[in-house]
Amino acid sequence: MNEHEARAAVYAAITQVAPDVETQGLDDRSRLRQDLELDSLDFLALVEHLARHAGVDVPEGDYGRVGTVASLIAYVAEHA
Amino acid sequence: MSRSKKTIPHYYLGTTVDLQAAVAWMRAVNAQRPVSARLVPAALLLKACALAARQVPEVNGFYTEARFRPSQAVHLGVAVALREGGLVAPAIHDADTLTVDQLMERLRDVVTRARAGRLRRAEIADPTLTVTALGDLGVDTVYGVIYPPQVALVGFGRVRERPWAQDGMLAVRQSVTATLSADHRVSDGLRGGRFLDLVDEMLQRPEDL
Repeated sequence: MNEHEARAAVYAAITQVAPDVETQGLDDRSRLRQDLELDSLDFLALVEHLARHAGVDVPEGDYGRVGTVASLIAYVAEHA
Repeated sequence: MSRSKKTIPHYYLGTTVDLQAAVAWMRAVNAQRPVSARLVPAALLLKACALAARQVPEVNGFYTEARFRPSQAVHLGVAVALREGGLVAPAIHDADTLTVDQLMERLRDVVTRARAGRLRRAEIADPTLTVTALGDLGVDTVYGVIYPPQVALVGFGRVRERPWAQDGMLAVRQSVTATLSADHRVSDGLRGGRFLDLVDEMLQRPEDL
């Protein structure tokens, strides 16, 4: 998946889990938990959405690698 | 909230619980599962509370008309922060009888519906004991305000690695600070402490939860 598609997939997942977050103009450095205020269940729902719609499985051991919007997009681009 | 603090003589207890075994067990289970069936630590914490509440009935029930009425059933209220602000604490009914997997499913369901504003009236009305779990974000310790007519609230701070001294050695282990806010008209530090001890003991054997 290229970076553009990965970004679209990540934005779609964020919108699904946190509809109040405006993805247009979203800072790539935003941290999913602290800045977007996703709790552990939201994060699980985000990962689940990516598995179902983008075909990317993020195992729990990799949760630490996808802490920001930018790192999640890079992860999806690399693994899809 | 202000009614709670005016009418309930709160007392507070806290203890740090070793979660190394629970987190290791959960990660091993999750590694074998698709995302949709994965657990979060809160599911284990809730189950331990539900089982402990059965053994310490003084934290589980309602104080009404100047006396305490313990509850046979354990309906755990789960404090859910709404994204637009505010808090609701809907009940997971008979939490002590559910498996950890069932509890996890109910937790996801009730949190999703709470955020969508789709809770049933009974779910909001009848928790017998409320739990707030901050998960892997936020502060180390949370001392809650009891929801009247309930008589206790259990708080779990952030689950994270901390230095842990044991058998003369210092190690790094996953741990959490568990607190109990309870009604002094109904229980005391001894019984409240017993409750937290039981929660701790159960979390050392996650496979039995």
